[in-house]
Amino acid sequence: MLELRGISKIFPGVKALDNVSITFHPGEVHGLLGENGAGKSTLIKIICGMYQPDEGEVFLNGKQVRFESFRDAMEHEISIVNQEIQVIPQYTIAENIFIDKIGKYAKAGIVNWKLINEMAGKYLKMVGLELEPTTIIGGLSAAQKQLVQIAKALSSNAKVLLLDEPTSSLTKHEAEYLFELVAKLREQGVVLIFVSHKLEEVLAICDKVSVLRDGSYVGTKVRENLTKQDIVKMMIGRETQDRYLGKLDINYDCKVLEVKDLSQAGRFSNINFDLYEGEILGFYGLVGSGRTELAKIIIGEDKKDSGEIRIHGKKAVPESMADSLYKYRLGYVSENRKEEGLLLDESVKTNIGITIWKKIVHPLTRKLNLTSEKSEANRMVEALKIKVTSADDIVGKLSGGNQQKVSIAKWLAAGCDILIIDEPSVGVDVGAKEYIHQLIWDLAKVEKKSIIVISSDLPELCTLARRILVFSDYRIAGELNDINDKYHTYDELSGRIGQYMA
Amino acid sequence: MKNSIELTAENQEVKGKSNVVVALLKRSDTSVIVATLVLFIVFAIGSSSFLSSYNLFNVFRTTSLYMFVALGQAIVLVIGGMNLSLGAIGGLAVVTAGVAMDTWGLPWWMGIILAIIVGALAGFINGIFIVRFKLNSFVVTLASSFIFTGLVFGISKGYPYTGIPKGFTLMGRDGFLGIPYLFWLMIVTLFVLWYVFKYTVIGRQILATGGNIVAARYSGIKTDRIILLGNVLSGVFAAVAGLLWISRMGSATPATGSDWMIISFAVAVIGGTALSGGAISAIGLGTAALMIALINNGLIMLGANVYFEQSFLGVIIMLAVLAESFRMKLHSSRKR
Repeated sequence: MLELRGISKIFPGVKALDNVSITFHPGEVHGLLGENGAGKSTLIKIICGMYQPDEGEVFLNGKQVRFESFRDAMEHEISIVNQEIQVIPQYTIAENIFIDKIGKYAKAGIVNWKLINEMAGKYLKMVGLELEPTTIIGGLSAAQKQLVQIAKALSSNAKVLLLDEPTSSLTKHEAEYLFELVAKLREQGVVLIFVSHKLEEVLAICDKVSVLRDGSYVGTKVRENLTKQDIVKMMIGRETQDRYLGKLDINYDCKVLEVKDLSQAGRFSNINFDLYEGEILGFYGLVGSGRTELAKIIIGEDKKDSGEIRIHGKKAVPESMADSLYKYRLGYVSENRKEEGLLLDESVKTNIGITIWKKIVHPLTRKLNLTSEKSEANRMVEALKIKVTSADDIVGKLSGGNQQKVSIAKWLAAGCDILIIDEPSVGVDVGAKEYIHQLIWDLAKVEKKSIIVISSDLPELCTLARRILVFSDYRIAGELNDINDKYHTYDELSGRIGQYMA
Repeated sequence: MKNSIELTAENQEVKGKSNVVVALLKRSDTSVIVATLVLFIVFAIGSSSFLSSYNLFNVFRTTSLYMFVALGQAIVLVIGGMNLSLGAIGGLAVVTAGVAMDTWGLPWWMGIILAIIVGALAGFINGIFIVRFKLNSFVVTLASSFIFTGLVFGISKGYPYTGIPKGFTLMGRDGFLGIPYLFWLMIVTLFVLWYVFKYTVIGRQILATGGNIVAARYSGIKTDRIILLGNVLSGVFAAVAGLLWISRMGSATPATGSDWMIISFAVAVIGGTALSGGAISAIGLGTAALMIALINNGLIMLGANVYFEQSFLGVIIMLAVLAESFRMKLHSSRKR
C-alpha cells in the first residue's frame, strides 16, 4: 500500500501540489487524471524519488519513507513506465532491460550475458514482444520500445508500478495486450498507478480514479457508475458533452484538392479522394495506418511513385513544404509540434512570421518590415486568443494549447486556404481542445477554408469532420460520406468505422 | 537567449536601475565585453608599451583577421554544422592568390577574385556532400581538410609566394584616422552581419534552420539550400581571411590557416555563437576577436612565455563557457 499524506511541492513562484493525500492499494488499478499543469507529473516524480515533497509524508506498507533519488525509489521496488521513452539506442533489448541490475548478474566483474539474455527473453514473452533479446533497440518502433520498458519494470519485480501515458505510442492491439498484462499484475497484488489522457482507457481498466486540478486533490471515485462526463467535470470543474457544431456549407462544385491513383511502392496503391471548398474531411486511423504518411506525400515532403495531385483544378507537383506554401497555399500542422512544427526557442512573432517573411520585404532594398511582422503576429494573437504577455514571448514556454494555436496561426498568416491538421489536440488540455475545435470549425464554416483533420481521437472527428475516410494498412478502408446533414452520435459512428476496420 | 541577434538592447524594457542589471545579465554579450575590458585594463597597467599607438594598431589588425576567421566558423555553427577545413580553405585561397599574382603575374584584383572563387568552391564541395549525401559536417570537413591541405602543399611545395603587388599589401598595413583599414573592414562586415540576421529573409531563415532544422523545413524553408549557402559563405570568409593575411604579411605563406581551428572556435564560441546552432551575435564576435587578440599581444607585452600561449587560450575558453552557463542559470532562475 502506498499512501501519500498532505503532499505539497513548491517551485519558485508556483505551488505545483497543494496538500494532496491519496492512498493506492495493492491489487488495484488506480487512474490518476488531470489537465496539463494539474500536478500529475510532479506527483509522479515525487512517488519515484525524482522530486522531494516540501510538505507531507509518503508511507509504503505502513512505514514512512523518503526517497532522495530515483534509485532510492527503485530499491523500494517502485518502477515507472514513462511516456518519454528512455532507452540507450545502441544497446540490445536485454542490455536495456537489465542495465540497472547488471551487477547482480556478474561474478568478479564478469557479466553473465547468457543468463541475462535468457531472463530478458522471459520478460519479453510476458509483454508479448516476439523479438530476440539480442536485437539492437535503436531500430525498434516507438511502441516496441515502450513494451521493452514495461518488460524492464516487470524485471525489477516492482511492487508499485507507475504507468505514465503508457499507450501514447501503442496501436490499439498493442494497448489491449498491455491492458491484459495490467490485469495480470493486478491479480498479483501490485500497486498500479495509471496516468492517461485517454478517458476511455481509464474507464476501461481502472478500478478507482483520482483527479487533480491546479495542484489540488479533487477527489477519488470508484469506477462503477462513473462516466466520462463525470471525470471531465472533475478535471475542468464543469461538464462537457459531445458537441454538435452544426452543418457545413460545403461547395461541392469546387474541388480544391484532388488525389488521383496515388501510389507509393510498398505502401499506397491507387489512393483516390477529393477535398471540397469549405469542407472538413477527417482522416481516421491508428498510428501507422498511412494517414500521416499520405499527408507528407501531399505536402511534398515524401515522394509518390505514380498518380496525380491537383490543387484548385491544376496539376500540382509539390517538391517540398516550401512549394506547398508558396505555390499552392497549403499549410500543414504537424502532429509532432515540438519537433516539426515550432521553433521552440523563438518568439511567437517569429513562429508566426516565418511564413510571411517573403511577403513583407521591401521590393528594392530587400529589407524585412519588422513592424508588419509584429502587427501580423499581434493580429493572430488577438484573433486566436493566444495567451501571451506579448508577441515576443518564447513559444517553448507556452502551454500546449497556446503552442497549437501558434502552429495554426502561421498558416493563417500566410493566407493558406487548404490546411492539413494532424492530431489537432495532441498534448492540449480539455479546455483548450474545445477552443481549437471551435477555431477549426469556424475556419471552414466562416472563412471557407478547406481542411483535412487527421486524428486517432474518434470523438474529435465526430465533432469536427463532415466526411471521414477510414485508413487501415495504407489504404482507404471506408468512407463515411453521409454525416454532414444531421447529428450522428459517437456510438453510431464508431460502430460504422469499426466495421470498416474489421 | 537563443535565436536572436543582439546588437541593440531594444528588446529589453529597462525600468529602473535593478532592471538594468537584469537586462545586462540577459545579454549573452555582457560577459565577453566585461572580460575584454578587464583584460584591456590589466594589460594597460601591467605594460607601459601596451597603450602605444604602434601596439594598438597591431592589436586591431590581428582582431580583424581573427574576426574573419571566426566568421567562417560562426556561419556554419549557426546552422548547426561546423567546418574543420576552414584553415585548409584559407591556405588554398592564399596559395591561389600567390600563384595568380606571383607566378602568373596577374593584377592584384584578379588574385582576389580567383582566391574567393576557390574558397567558395571548396565550401560548395563541403556543402554538397553534407546536403546531398546527408553526411555529418564533422566527417565531411575533416576529410576535406586533408584534401585541401594536400593541395596547398602540393601546389606550393611549401614555398611562400613573395611577389605580391604593393597595392595589395596597402590594405593590411595602412590605416585611416590612425585605425587600420582591416579594422574598418571588420566594423563594416559586422554591421552587415547584424543587418542580415535582423532584417533579411535569408538571415532569419538561417537562424530558423539552426534553431530547428525540421521545423524550419516544415515551415516552408528550403533548408538544404540554407546549409549549402552557409558552407559556401564559410569558404568565402576563409578566403577573405586568407587574403587579409597575405596583405598583412606581404607574402603568401602556404602555412597560413594551420592555426585557425582553435582561433575560429574560440572566437565564435566566446562571442556567443551557439554550438548547437540558431544564435549568432555580431557584437559578440567582434569583441571576442579583440579579446583573443589582446591575450595574444598582452602576454607578450607582459613578458609571459609565448610557448604557453595555447594553454592560456584554452583556460580562457573554459572560463568563457563557464561564465556563459552561469549566466544562463541566473537568467532562467530569475525568469521563473
